[in-house]
Amino acid sequence: MNDLSIDLGKGLKLANPVLTASGTFGYGDEVSEVVDVNRFGGIVTKSLSLEPRIGNPPPRIVETPSGMINSIGLANIGLEAFLREKAPYLSQLSCKVIINIAARTEEEFCDVIKALDNEKWISAYEINVSCPNVKEGGIAFGTDPDVLRCLTRKLRDKTDRYLIVKLSPNVTNIAQMAEIVQECNADAVSMINTLYGAAIDIHTRKPKINTVIGGLSGPAIKPAALAHIIKAREVIDIPIIGIGGISNGEDVIEFMLAGASAVQLGTVNFYNPCAIYEILNFIEQYMTQYNLMSLQKIIGQALV
Amino acid sequence: MKCITIGTVQSNQKVADQIFFATIEVPEIARQCLPGQFVNIYFPGSVKLFPRPFSIAGVSGKSILILYKVIGSQTTLMSRWQTGRQVKLLGPLGNSFTISEDKSVEYVLLAGGVGAAPLMFFRDELAKKKIKPHFFIGAKTKSELPIIEDVKSDLIVTTDDGSKGLKGTVIEHFEDFIKNIRRPVSLNVCGPDSMMSALKNISFPDNVTINVSLEKTMACGLGLCQGCVVKTTSGKYNGHYALVCKDGPVFNLNDVEFDE
Ligand SMILES: Cc1cc2nc3c(=O)[nH]c(=O)nc-3n(C[C@H](O)[C@H](O)[C@H](O)COP(=O)(O)OP(=O)(O)OC[C@H]3O[C@@H](n4cnc5c(N)ncnc54)[C@H](O)[C@@H]3O)c2cc1C
Ligand SMILES: Cc1cc2nc3c(=O)[nH]c(=O)nc-3n(C[C@H](O)[C@H](O)[C@H](O)COP(=O)(O)O)c2cc1C
Ligand code: FES
Repeated sequence: MNDLSIDLGKGLKLANPVLTASGTFGYGDEVSEVVDVNRFGGIVTKSLSLEPRIGNPPPRIVETPSGMINSIGLANIGLEAFLREKAPYLSQLSCKVIINIAARTEEEFCDVIKALDNEKWISAYEINVSCPNVKEGGIAFGTDPDVLRCLTRKLRDKTDRYLIVKLSPNVTNIAQMAEIVQECNADAVSMINTLYGAAIDIHTRKPKINTVIGGLSGPAIKPAALAHIIKAREVIDIPIIGIGGISNGEDVIEFMLAGASAVQLGTVNFYNPCAIYEILNFIEQYMTQYNLMSLQKIIGQALV
Repeated sequence: MKCITIGTVQSNQKVADQIFFATIEVPEIARQCLPGQFVNIYFPGSVKLFPRPFSIAGVSGKSILILYKVIGSQTTLMSRWQTGRQVKLLGPLGNSFTISEDKSVEYVLLAGGVGAAPLMFFRDELAKKKIKPHFFIGAKTKSELPIIEDVKSDLIVTTDDGSKGLKGTVIEHFEDFIKNIRRPVSLNVCGPDSMMSALKNISFPDNVTINVSLEKTMACGLGLCQGCVVKTTSGKYNGHYALVCKDGPVFNLNDVEFDE
């Protein structure tokens, strides 16, 4: 039996390295008829804010070559409805549950964490400092080094729970941002969130999504994600959770070799909702082929 | 219960200009689907990632029927499907048209072009209950009409250029018809956005309930991406955005807005 488990430190152990990416898997309950959610190492829920958000007007999504652009605008049900309607389902899952939080202000982040800290079933928080589609807050936290430092410190003070900061690729120096997160004693970084993207209808001359510029995801961004992970790996020791265009088992191994301790599946959930089964099968085969006792052994082992 | 599965193409025939009718054997979906529901068709390995949603146009034994118009890359691929071809599908998705408990209700189906697809399935369900609906179907011209005769409904065919049936838009002829109706009416509609907007401008008597099946670009079909939203009115959805894939595709006309 191959050992796919991954130890992310500070008591967070995953049965396998594959998580879902925030905003691409709802709260897990929507897909539970189609996929066995517990096959994932864990799920990361849609960005949660203190108050409900209705999100941006349509059109919100557009298909682009090997990718898509979205400007959902962090539409979510808000903390209160989340605890009432989603917690009962999430709390009975056997895989890990990581709550992604988005906020407009430091106070809002703190308020959400305060309300969630009593919920024993939550394994970690992932802080979304990098959403490109909301006008206020959002990406400002993830693009200004001082703002990021200040926020990460504050959140570290607030909670003992496993803390992941999700980085934006829309910065000049992602390694510097990763370093700041490590300095402030967060437990891991996840990367990357979506890249800036745009598309225009040549007949109507209108942008194909409402916010003009949105977030690009899918296989098109995979090489960019790998490059960012390699850069960050050079300067930090805390675990990196790799995200960006992963669609199969080969991609997962590639991300791990580049330095990711675990990975998240995003856009692939839309075009192959059962990808997790194929991915786990591939990893098993790969481990057998290369005689790997533990998957943990390949992290960062690319000859770069 | 929704499932992801592999179907087998039994037939795939051209029935009008750029319009095809496919039969796909997929017992898991055929067994349980309802009129108004749709399936996602996947195209693994394509640089166009999104699955494509298609209404179920009927059930025949273990197969579902799909009536589709070739408008772009993936529908072009579909038009080349041969018998025996394996297709990856997810379904049945979304909500459905409903048959009222009230026996006095008269059913009217209103289709623009391939919008006939879900209504043909609904017509079959009505026929099982011995109900014969009025079925309005319109297109620009004769060659774009997916059906021209029907035994299970009172079919009213219209073309903009008068090349088949009544001349004019389907909405114009429908408006004349609805004025003279006395009994409660269940109006069920599927067609292009322009047709839906035109409906909004008609003042209907109180005894007409209007259900419309909407189309939006979809990435997942499962309520995961929040991409397929439609603006709602203050009614049932409180003015929030509703998801066409999960809350719909069938909505009460009064609950949705089209001014985008
Ligand atoms: C619930 C639902 C039911 C549908 N049922 C039917 C049906 O029964 N028969 C039928 O012929 N068509 C149906 N459609 C529309 C059908 O999904 C599109 O025609 C198809 O996706 C086009 O794919 P393509 O690759 O050929 O076109 P593309 O090359 O992708 O695009 C051509 C045009 O189609 C539009 N389009 C692209 N993708 C979608 C999408 N996912 N949803 C809606 N529009 C899109 C684009 O805006 C563009 O204008 C339905 C759509 C929905 C949402
Ligand atoms: C439709 C959509 C919605 C998303 N919503 C969120 C979100 O709410 N919070 C967040 O941190 N990231 C969000 N993301 C970003 C993903 O979690 C992920 O970082 C990104 O899509 C790159 O991975 P992928 O290429 O595998 O999709 C969203 C992405 C998509 C496509
Ligand atoms: S298509 Fe993704 S939520 Fe409707």
